[in-house]
Amino acid sequence: MTVAGTLAGVLPSGRRQPILRSSRPALALGGVILLVAGCAEDAPQDTWQPAGPNAQKIHNLQWPVFAIAGVVMLIVMAAIGWAIFKYRDRGQPLPKQTHGRPTLEIALTILPALILIGVAVPTVGTLFALAETDDTECYINVTGQQWWWEVDYPAQDGCGGIAEPIVSSGQMVIPIGTKVLVRGTSRDVIHSWWIPALNGKRDMVPGRLQTVRLEADEPGIYAGQCTEFCGLSHANMRMEVVALSPEDFATWKERQLAPYEAPAADTLAAEGEATFLGQCARCHQVNGILDADGVPFISQPELYVYSEAAPNLTHLMSRNTFAGASWDLLIPACRSEVWGAPPEEFGALYLQGITPECLNQVDLREWLRNAPAKKPMYADPTELAATDDKTRGMPYLALSEEQIDQVIAYLMERQ
Amino acid sequence: MAIIERPVPATVAGPVAPTVTPSSSLGVFRRPVTSSGWTSWVFTVDHKKIGIMYGVSAMVFFLVGGIEALLIRAQLAAADGTVLTADVYNQMFTMHATSMVFLFAMPMAAAFGNYFLPLQLGARDVAFPRINAFGFWSFLFGAIFINTSWILGGAADGGWFMYAPNSGVPFSPTNGIDMWAVGLVITGIASQTGAINLIVTALNMRTRGMSLMRMPVFTWMILVVQFLLLFAIPVITVALTLLIFQRQFGATFFSVDAGADPLLWQHLFWIFGHPEVYILVLPSFGIISEVLPVFSRKPLFGYPFVVFSGAAIGFVGWGVWAHHMFASGLGPVSVAVFSVSTMVIAVPTGVKIINWTLTMWGGKLVFSTAMLFAIGLVVQFTIGGLSGVTHSVAPSDTQQTDTYYIVAHFHYVLFGGAVLSFFAGFYYWWPKVFGKCLSERLGKWNFWLMIVGMNMTFGPMHITGLQGQPRRMYIWTEERAGEGFFNIAFWNRISSIGAFILAVGILLFLINVVYTHRRAPIAPLDPWDARTLEWMTTSPPKEHNFDSLPTVHALDEFFHRKYEDVGQGDEHDLRQVATAEEILAEQEANADHHIHLPSPSYWPIVLAFSLPIIGYGIVFERVIAIVGAVILVLAMFGWALEPSVADDSDYDPPEPEPGTGLATVGSTA
Amino acid sequence: MSDAGAGRPADEKTPGEGAPDLGNEPADTTNTVTETIDEIPMGGVPEPGATPTVDTGEERTHLTDMPEETADRDAHGGDAGTTGISNNKLAMWLFLGSECLLFGGLISTYMLYRGRHSGSLGPDQIYDLPFTSVSSFVLLMSSLTMVLAVSSVARGDIRNTKLWLCITALLGATFVGGQVYEFTTFYREGLGFTTSLFSSSFYTLTGFHGVHVTVGIIMLLALVGMVSRDRVTGDRSEVVELVGLYWHFVDIVWIVIFTLVYLIPA
Repeated sequence: MTVAGTLAGVLPSGRRQPILRSSRPALALGGVILLVAGCAEDAPQDTWQPAGPNAQKIHNLQWPVFAIAGVVMLIVMAAIGWAIFKYRDRGQPLPKQTHGRPTLEIALTILPALILIGVAVPTVGTLFALAETDDTECYINVTGQQWWWEVDYPAQDGCGGIAEPIVSSGQMVIPIGTKVLVRGTSRDVIHSWWIPALNGKRDMVPGRLQTVRLEADEPGIYAGQCTEFCGLSHANMRMEVVALSPEDFATWKERQLAPYEAPAADTLAAEGEATFLGQCARCHQVNGILDADGVPFISQPELYVYSEAAPNLTHLMSRNTFAGASWDLLIPACRSEVWGAPPEEFGALYLQGITPECLNQVDLREWLRNAPAKKPMYADPTELAATDDKTRGMPYLALSEEQIDQVIAYLMERQ
Repeated sequence: MAIIERPVPATVAGPVAPTVTPSSSLGVFRRPVTSSGWTSWVFTVDHKKIGIMYGVSAMVFFLVGGIEALLIRAQLAAADGTVLTADVYNQMFTMHATSMVFLFAMPMAAAFGNYFLPLQLGARDVAFPRINAFGFWSFLFGAIFINTSWILGGAADGGWFMYAPNSGVPFSPTNGIDMWAVGLVITGIASQTGAINLIVTALNMRTRGMSLMRMPVFTWMILVVQFLLLFAIPVITVALTLLIFQRQFGATFFSVDAGADPLLWQHLFWIFGHPEVYILVLPSFGIISEVLPVFSRKPLFGYPFVVFSGAAIGFVGWGVWAHHMFASGLGPVSVAVFSVSTMVIAVPTGVKIINWTLTMWGGKLVFSTAMLFAIGLVVQFTIGGLSGVTHSVAPSDTQQTDTYYIVAHFHYVLFGGAVLSFFAGFYYWWPKVFGKCLSERLGKWNFWLMIVGMNMTFGPMHITGLQGQPRRMYIWTEERAGEGFFNIAFWNRISSIGAFILAVGILLFLINVVYTHRRAPIAPLDPWDARTLEWMTTSPPKEHNFDSLPTVHALDEFFHRKYEDVGQGDEHDLRQVATAEEILAEQEANADHHIHLPSPSYWPIVLAFSLPIIGYGIVFERVIAIVGAVILVLAMFGWALEPSVADDSDYDPPEPEPGTGLATVGSTA
Repeated sequence: MSDAGAGRPADEKTPGEGAPDLGNEPADTTNTVTETIDEIPMGGVPEPGATPTVDTGEERTHLTDMPEETADRDAHGGDAGTTGISNNKLAMWLFLGSECLLFGGLISTYMLYRGRHSGSLGPDQIYDLPFTSVSSFVLLMSSLTMVLAVSSVARGDIRNTKLWLCITALLGATFVGGQVYEFTTFYREGLGFTTSLFSSSFYTLTGFHGVHVTVGIIMLLALVGMVSRDRVTGDRSEVVELVGLYWHFVDIVWIVIFTLVYLIPA
């Protein structure tokens, strides 16, 4: 390697150095295409498929900015590509030692600034529009907890009128075309509520109450995930928003507030009720369940769970996911039917709940058999010193297969 | 064989290693006196040796962080991966980021800064050589300390951002987070002392004629970075202290039950964290601003703009931290303010891209490996910077944050920015530091594999992020993956394959280093026909850098000594009037007669050693901390009381024989 | 954007002006030596050809030169390469600048949490303003005595330097003693470190400050020792000024803390 050789652009081997213009800009261009086309398919959490006005506002702001960025990128790539091609060392003498051109540089500083001002103005507008809470038509509370979401509906005039509070988990049911305000907090660490099709995410911070707007245009099921790292099973903390027509929503509300119906005597479900009381009810509330003495049983998860709550299972089979919405209660065939249903058929399918032939026995049984083995949680009694011997998540209950049969039979009646 | 090739003198006989005899005072407090062997490294205060040690250590942690990344990608190559459990995965991504940010990128920038700042300034060392050594050893011991957590009960598992309350004891009962926090306080001490050192050096020890606006851009960027470090490290120290007090002493700073606000941590962390990312990337801008002009054969376009935009980035960078918190519930006013300020900072960053492109424009481009990496950086960083602009739009960011789209962004700016620049710096400066050029053939392979690997790994993350794949999750599922060509499953697989290609590329670099060490010929003094003062030395530079300190008359002083413009009027005709060898010979001929160099010392490493001992004491057994504190105090007094020099550390250039005419251009008759 | 003439030969030196001997300018302490606190023998450079002196080490706790150095540099055609303040002093200023951020973070934490003491003692109940005012006054006075120490050493008045340094250290120790008394009283009254957010923030903030004062006292005592051994004369006297800078900073931080923590009602 000689100085002269390097200066002449000749590599030690004597070959002329390769011209680079073709590959890099092409790679970049391909990237742009991929980026723009990335919105095309139907990942359930696709951020470029808005299904409600809030997400639509974001989308209307986002894609032009992407387009501008893409154009800028192409210009820069083209300039670099051209420079690489035109000004490569071909043995010419030392070039003019330009030190700069202030007017050009100032112009090229002002230009991006102007573009950004153009971006800033609608940004601020959209921001404030999305922070609006005065036009709320329905309030729904969420509480994040390691590693599931509690959803509760306070009694209110909104949402078409809710007479008594409704408590659910994992799936939030809303009426379409309604300005829902989600108010949320957490019982332990910071979580984040995110339903991409309907709006951006909002962190759920313990000790604070944060709000985020939700509104869906059409009936359907909209998937989301917790998006603030919350520990071991952060990946297994999902949720869905289910949007129903106002009539279907009224039906849903009615069923949620329907009084408790004990299983018929001498059925598997009745045995299940007893097992449930013995094994599950100390944490999982079922509204209206009576203990052996006929007294309404109130669960006390605060004694066993560090974050002091467990999902309310009163109407478990009216939803179609469980265990922090990490698994489906529906077998794949039924699931694709419900999830993929066109908007006009969706409500009826959803309101069917879980029928025995659609029940996903496999995952549910695995969960009941040994929950910590299925979903990473802190439930080993020997390792709970740091949390006052309380679990974070569901413990291993050592249920027999027979007990599992009973409990499933009982739960199937919780529609 | 020595790691560093002994310099081949340009004209005179090579320098003789100075003989030193022990000082006879005060027995125990003698200064160490070796000039070769491992002790000459362990007790050195020479900025060049310290720079090399920083570089080697940083490279080791780059590989550690890289292996952590490969494990992550192996886990995410398929749905419901089983390579790592959820617990280990959480530790893995926490330590990957920690290793890369704190144990690789910052020290690697320190390596380049330590080695080249004094040389580019025309100085012989930094202002406080022993503190410089102390800084390095603190960093190394802190880095090792953090990594011992893997075998001492588990590494930290709260993410490198360590949000509260998830960082509290109930949610992370192992010692991992404690060791992480204490270890980062220790490495923070290294950064802090290094910052003071380099600022004083740059402001006070420039050679004659070097005004601030004649400093190379690399030096400028390093200077800005040191100011950022100076003010940012105390903030993270406060945050880490509060965390340590919470976890170790039962304070309730982040306990919501006691009324704490978890957002306090986020604010403290990001007030550090945002300047931190500029700390990570500005040195890279500096390196590229050196490499591009040399291989474009023309000066940097718009030097003052580049310098001022760097300073502007450093300044405005303090006002954007809450863009990491757009979804945290700050309220629309705060969010709007930070959204706009984030857009503001895009402007000076864009200026640099423009200036680099215009540097190449109209030049005579030589595509050495260093230049390839430099051009690669401009391209990759543009992509990363533009995706950053899309984040600045706060409502959009609420869809993007905590997804892989963000992961794509920061890997493009950090890998495409910082890492590519380090490799450009390696290929550019290797002959100066080690006396040999890295193989260009292997270098091209190194470069292309890294570029392909990098784009294959991080490019698809734009897609998967926008498709809704969140970060920091040990698995992804088919159910959320979508179908069609752009589904998450396919692109995760591509990412994972790309990561291994990237690893091969990096492996090639290591092979190149070994190959060069064994086989390559000695390099000329100035193989790239460079522009700045560090090239006006032997390769490697003598211990005292310059035989006589140069007087600077212009920016790119070295280039101006080699070339003269003999054109008439508007015509330019650059003619070479001196070679590097001649310029060096002249320097040697006018060598300063008596050059005092700072002597090696035991105390920096001893003092640094006390820090992890105190650390283990805090985390495990308080008695150990007391022992460490005693060592600390004794070491400080030892430092203060040791003799100022070991004997005879002067360098006396050999006198050329009369009549040989070797010494200078135009020597005495 | 400088574009100075290109192609000038390496140095001003003209051919024939004597090769091996000091050509251009006398070897200049500024650039030939590294300026660290005890690296360089003061008083210029040995004569050319002189044998290097054996350094016994004891006498050599040196400071950087300053006035001589700048004069030297100025003599060589103006100088763009330095700020004009010594390395050590610049370093101290930078360090104090970073300390502002440290205390800023701790003060912010306190201000956020000062009202969060539900059920337990709050600032209004626990602070003893008269007592703290007196100890604040003591600390303020110690800054005055520090100034007197610095001016004494500038005049070369060793005896008074030692006196004022000792008094400063004593006043500082009195302040720290007052802090310790205050903390133990609070503790006995029920305000422990982990009692509430208010208490944790309070003790952390004032504790950090107290540690800084203590380190300052140690430095002051070390200075007294150095002055006794006659190692702080001439240009080396700058070290007293640097410790003074640190001490004043610690005092100013206390003024801020006292105002925000004690004086402004919660």
